[in-house]
Amino acid sequence: MLKATLKGVLAHKIRLLLTAIAVVLGVGFVAGTYVLTDTLNATFDTLFEEVTAGTDVSVRAESGFGEDTSLSSARNTVPESLVPIVAGVEGVKSADGNLAGYAQYVDKAGKAIVTGGAPTLGVSWTDVPELNPLRLRDGRAPEADGEVLMDAGTAKEHDFTVGDTVRILFEGPPSDFTVVGVAGFGAADNLAGATLAVFDRATAQRVLNKVGAFDTIDAVADESVSPLELRARVQNALPDGFEARTGAQVADEQAKQVQDALGFFSTFLLVFAGISLFVGAFMILNTFSILVAQRTRELGLLRALGASRGQVLASVVGEAAIVGVVASAAGVLLGILVAMGLKALLGGFGIDLPGGGLVVKPRTIVLSLVVGELVTLVAAIGPALKGSKLSPMAAMSGAGTEHGGSLRTRTITGTVVMVAGLAALGAGLFGDAGIALVGLGVAATFIGLALLLPLFARPLASALGRPLPPLFMVRGISAKLARQNAVRNPRRTASTAAALTIGLGLVGTVAVLAASIVESGAAIIDKALAADYIISTGQFTPTVSTDVAGRLSEQPELGAVTGLQQGEFRVQGSTKQLFGGDPDALPQLLNIEMVTGEIAALGRGEVLVEEQEAKDRNVVVGEALPVTFVRTGDKELRVGGTYERNQLLGGYTVSGATYDENFSEHLFFVVMAKATPGVAPAAARAAVDRVAQDFPNVEVRDQVEFKAEQKRQINQALGLVTVLLFLAVVIAFLGIINTLALSVFERTRELGLLRAVGMSRRQVRGMIRGESVIISVMGAIIGLVVGVLFGWALVSDFSGEGISELVIPVGQLITYVVIAGILGVFAALFPARRAARLDILQAISHE
Amino acid sequence: MKSARADGSPTTTASAASAARAVGLTKIYGQGDTAVKALDGLSVDFAVGQFSAIMGPSGSGKSTLMHCMAGLDRVTGGQTFIGDTELSHLDDKELTKLRRDEVGFIFQAYNLVPTLNALENITLPLDIAGREPDQEWLDRIIDTIGLRPRLSHRPSELSGGQQQRVAAARALASKPAIVFADEPTGNLDSKASSEVLGFLRQSVADFGQTIVMVTHDAVAAGYADRIVFLVDGQIVDEMLDPTPDRVLDKMKTLSDDR
Repeated sequence: MLKATLKGVLAHKIRLLLTAIAVVLGVGFVAGTYVLTDTLNATFDTLFEEVTAGTDVSVRAESGFGEDTSLSSARNTVPESLVPIVAGVEGVKSADGNLAGYAQYVDKAGKAIVTGGAPTLGVSWTDVPELNPLRLRDGRAPEADGEVLMDAGTAKEHDFTVGDTVRILFEGPPSDFTVVGVAGFGAADNLAGATLAVFDRATAQRVLNKVGAFDTIDAVADESVSPLELRARVQNALPDGFEARTGAQVADEQAKQVQDALGFFSTFLLVFAGISLFVGAFMILNTFSILVAQRTRELGLLRALGASRGQVLASVVGEAAIVGVVASAAGVLLGILVAMGLKALLGGFGIDLPGGGLVVKPRTIVLSLVVGELVTLVAAIGPALKGSKLSPMAAMSGAGTEHGGSLRTRTITGTVVMVAGLAALGAGLFGDAGIALVGLGVAATFIGLALLLPLFARPLASALGRPLPPLFMVRGISAKLARQNAVRNPRRTASTAAALTIGLGLVGTVAVLAASIVESGAAIIDKALAADYIISTGQFTPTVSTDVAGRLSEQPELGAVTGLQQGEFRVQGSTKQLFGGDPDALPQLLNIEMVTGEIAALGRGEVLVEEQEAKDRNVVVGEALPVTFVRTGDKELRVGGTYERNQLLGGYTVSGATYDENFSEHLFFVVMAKATPGVAPAAARAAVDRVAQDFPNVEVRDQVEFKAEQKRQINQALGLVTVLLFLAVVIAFLGIINTLALSVFERTRELGLLRAVGMSRRQVRGMIRGESVIISVMGAIIGLVVGVLFGWALVSDFSGEGISELVIPVGQLITYVVIAGILGVFAALFPARRAARLDILQAISHE
Repeated sequence: MKSARADGSPTTTASAASAARAVGLTKIYGQGDTAVKALDGLSVDFAVGQFSAIMGPSGSGKSTLMHCMAGLDRVTGGQTFIGDTELSHLDDKELTKLRRDEVGFIFQAYNLVPTLNALENITLPLDIAGREPDQEWLDRIIDTIGLRPRLSHRPSELSGGQQQRVAAARALASKPAIVFADEPTGNLDSKASSEVLGFLRQSVADFGQTIVMVTHDAVAAGYADRIVFLVDGQIVDEMLDPTPDRVLDKMKTLSDDR
């Protein structure tokens, strides 16, 4: 039987090829994700090890959160005075302070230099060679104020050389520096894409707002002592509030943070890989259903010749297994190629990843092969069972497996699965069950839908069949036959369309979500934002200089100005966002509806709490709220008032002064300003622009521009998701090509007859094209309807999070349908060509 | 006995106008050592308004002759005509149009499009051409095949004989110059066969339709006006106003001769 199976694979190789492509793409996605994230992880591990290679012990302030280093907020600084103490510990060869903070270069054209998400760092130079990962390439180290050493990456890309003047942006006012040296990071030009501005110690302390202090004090051990032992000795020498860690521990902590971030990224990508495989499974199921139906006679003959039911089953499953293994192996290779491409792409964006090639772990290969094989087998098992259940005689007489049986069992199963899926989805969204249940619910809903689809396939295809083909230049008898071919096997049409339904269902969900978020965002801005001008940078981290707010408030044309800060702190053990702003300006720039207390309480160092949050935390005005900051540890903040939910503020708001006391970083994520009453908008805008000119990283927007920018950002983010879903849609179209090709093969005699009685090749092609368009558009429409329902469910779920408006982007959805139709035309190209080129005589005598 | 010789010169001349004719027709399958000469310089003429049958033993080339004359297959040498149109000059588009407008086909099996009902199958060539059917003509054909109550049925709901009658009606629907029937009763029992053949006979008698039928069944051939006998790709004999008994005798001598 193995021989028969192998021959089966070879005989159907073209038909199985497209099926295999679906598996290859899905598995490639999985493998590529793992290879990329493993490689990035390994890269960062190496990176942190290199940075801390010479550091044996590092001293830092204790975190207010204890051992948990997951929060992004920075610790307190270490006073300069501790350096001699550390240096004096027995076994310390040398010690020096280390300082890092925000410093952003401005290029020669006056534009702020941005990185692809990597930090823009200002650091202090150290003369201790073991502690300095930088290698001078040109010039010398910075020695005085006004001097900077630049990383080689920035110097190369933006054409700076020793002797040039460069403007640098800081937390405070920007200033100009002379490039005195260029350094590489080991052999690499930069540190994983980050830009580096290196100053002498005193300058670094001044520009980074940490006069007389360091972030850490790093020590090198002499030969007499191990890092672990030295750590203990240093720890003993430190006053309370400071801790010593070995270099290895620090590297591990940093690597762990990167791993967590990459883990999220990896899960995000794997979700889309899963969707692609899910869609691919439908294609495999469909192909094997058709193959089994077409091979009914052959399988019957095998049975008649004495093959057992198990052997027939094994023959079909074996065929699937071979396809699965080959395709999965190809998928792993594709994944490695994709990861290589992505890594090269990162390099192209100026993110220079040091060392090492791709990391292909055994786990990646094993998991990819197992997933690909499992998906193929699970999808093929149904058709294989059906084939094995044929009686020898029924099979020999050519009764197709596909047509037999009513849809009743299928309908019942489909209804049950779909209801269960919707229930899981509802529970996941509106209950506390979590996101995994949502995914499961969505998958089950789609499977149920695919099972029920044959019920709708006939009426829908008939309804679509009339107006549709003429739109794609298929007329007359070709259109009629296209319509009837589309419904002649509802199960096949349904499962072909189902793959597309899933893809477009998710695309539709994203479209509804995007439109709703945009609209809701605009509504929030209308309702809550009273500011005329919004000043921000396009970066992920807060990078608006505190100087911007200060300079703006000096302008007579502007009435109220505040910067907004945002950071993480803990309230009763859970992590929350705290906002800081100017107590006087804030109420003029944001519409804050107080429920109890008064806004003025901010000025007294009190905290305002969002009403619902206050209820959840069980605090009322006048009470003390116990909180924890990374920098300053446990504190009590008096509750000065509660306010109605405000989408522009989080749950907790304090004054900028209170914020600055408790956080190391003071940069604003946004600055808002309002014109002085009576000042013309043009004059006010001119005042804002005048100030902004000196800060090339900021952009000024009025409310209309701000809304447009929000819209652009949301659409960009969801556009990325749509692109990732596009792979699933591509696989669905491969499925349509495959089904059409198999149908053409199956209808060879009929096509021969049509050609014999005078149907032209053009008409034959039109017929196939019409069928393809009907299936595509049907799948797309059902998918988009489901997508709108899912979108509606999500928007309802997030209504508490500020997505108040449900918007169905009808125009966009119609565009998707049209695109589906056009792709349907392309899907039909190859099968139609094949059908039109059939030799009439051979076709008529085809078995 | 009138017969065509290998020199390709037409020796058969029809008294009436010819609906289709072949001149020095040669068809060779394959190349070199494996080449098989299916038709060997054959000339034949089928008169307008006549019901002709082509008979011969298996492998005599009778189906090939029909396929070549109907424009379904390319010839190796010689010429074939439908009316005055020489087929070898036509490209695929022109051949397709010719088949659609000038030729009717009845095959042995799988004659109907399964997704179309009986009426739609009958009007298929007209629909392909995008022409409106001549309703009066259509009614006459439908009444003659006697399937008016079953017009809305799909092929799967019709018996084999009914299906072939629908196929015959389709072949006539576009008023073709000539109808080619390839073993139209090959898959039918005797009752269904006589229904189909009766209809063909009637269409010749009543409508003046020209029909060329390939068959190996003496009873079926008995319905024809004229039979040409084929052996090894050449016409060896012909018979006018045949009866099944005479045909059987003739077939017997043909196979004895071999």
